[in-house]
Amino acid sequence: MKGAANTSNKLDPTSFMTSSFIRYLVMVQKELLEQARSYKLLWVPLVFVLLGIMQPVSTYYMPVILEHAGSLPEGTVIDIPMPLGAEVLAQTLQQFGTLGMLVLVLACMGTVSGERLSGVSAIILVKPISASAYISSKWTSMLLLAWGSLAAGYLASWYYTGLLIGETPIVQAYESMLVYGLWLSAVMTITLLFSTWLRSSAAAAFAALGGALMLTLLASLFPKQLGWTPGALSGFAYQLAAAGTPDSSTLSAAVVVTIVCMLGSISLAALQLRKSLAAE
Amino acid sequence: MNESIVIADLLPILAPIIVIQLIIMTIALVLCAKAESTRGPKWVWVLIIIFINIFGPIAFFIAGRRNEG
Repeated sequence: MKGAANTSNKLDPTSFMTSSFIRYLVMVQKELLEQARSYKLLWVPLVFVLLGIMQPVSTYYMPVILEHAGSLPEGTVIDIPMPLGAEVLAQTLQQFGTLGMLVLVLACMGTVSGERLSGVSAIILVKPISASAYISSKWTSMLLLAWGSLAAGYLASWYYTGLLIGETPIVQAYESMLVYGLWLSAVMTITLLFSTWLRSSAAAAFAALGGALMLTLLASLFPKQLGWTPGALSGFAYQLAAAGTPDSSTLSAAVVVTIVCMLGSISLAALQLRKSLAAE
Repeated sequence: MNESIVIADLLPILAPIIVIQLIIMTIALVLCAKAESTRGPKWVWVLIIIFINIFGPIAFFIAGRRNEG
């Protein structure tokens, strides 16, 4: 693949834009190959599917589970109203927000810092590959992993919810998935930024998870003032899934702000990488 | 009597969950067996992967292998 990058450079030396785009594509391919070789491409979506199936199934069998738990006194009447399908979907998203996000961040925490520690990034960046192509290829592959896992898990959850609890219109699920995917992308971008900034991958994971927690906390504490921040996106996604209609102007403001923040973070990460390479 | 009916009802619904867990566990075990060096003794990892549901294999994927990728 490195050969491919070189030959494309020789064949087309005049058009810089094309060759740098091809280099970027080659780097994305390399990242995806690495994800496949480390089986991330397989186990992360599987974990999401498992989380997605668990939620409707455990909701459906909650009365049975409670009945067999045995810690209740004889003759207790258990009467739990079965939630709507849409509510179960919202709960699934909340599951993705805790365990799913943890898994994604932990799986991606070493993308840059691990490669820098092992010296792989030094080998790559000696070749005619810019820091921004390196960072953006990593970002693309991380986002592909996050969106793929989310889509697989959410689809499984939607199917099971329809089977066990109640049908939900797929448009509703689709909209909430888009908003939630944007939030996951933002968290992945923060992870990438911290992974470039901090030398330790564990520190990057902690910083990213802490940052995500703080963002959601702030947005939920001050929904009026901070409804436009990225942290509010997960709340909007739950609302959309549970058939609520969130304030569309605030939602679109949050979407725009999040995209701008993500682009800023990638640029910052690329800048940081270039700076620290120059310093070495 | 009541319980057996419940289990028979449960099985087709729980089957995918069990299958996915088994797949994840198998991948982790194969990788553990193939890895040149793991962080910590291999047999401990094998026990963790087999006996800790879902979180064991995930822990191995994230932290178990020394040279990832």
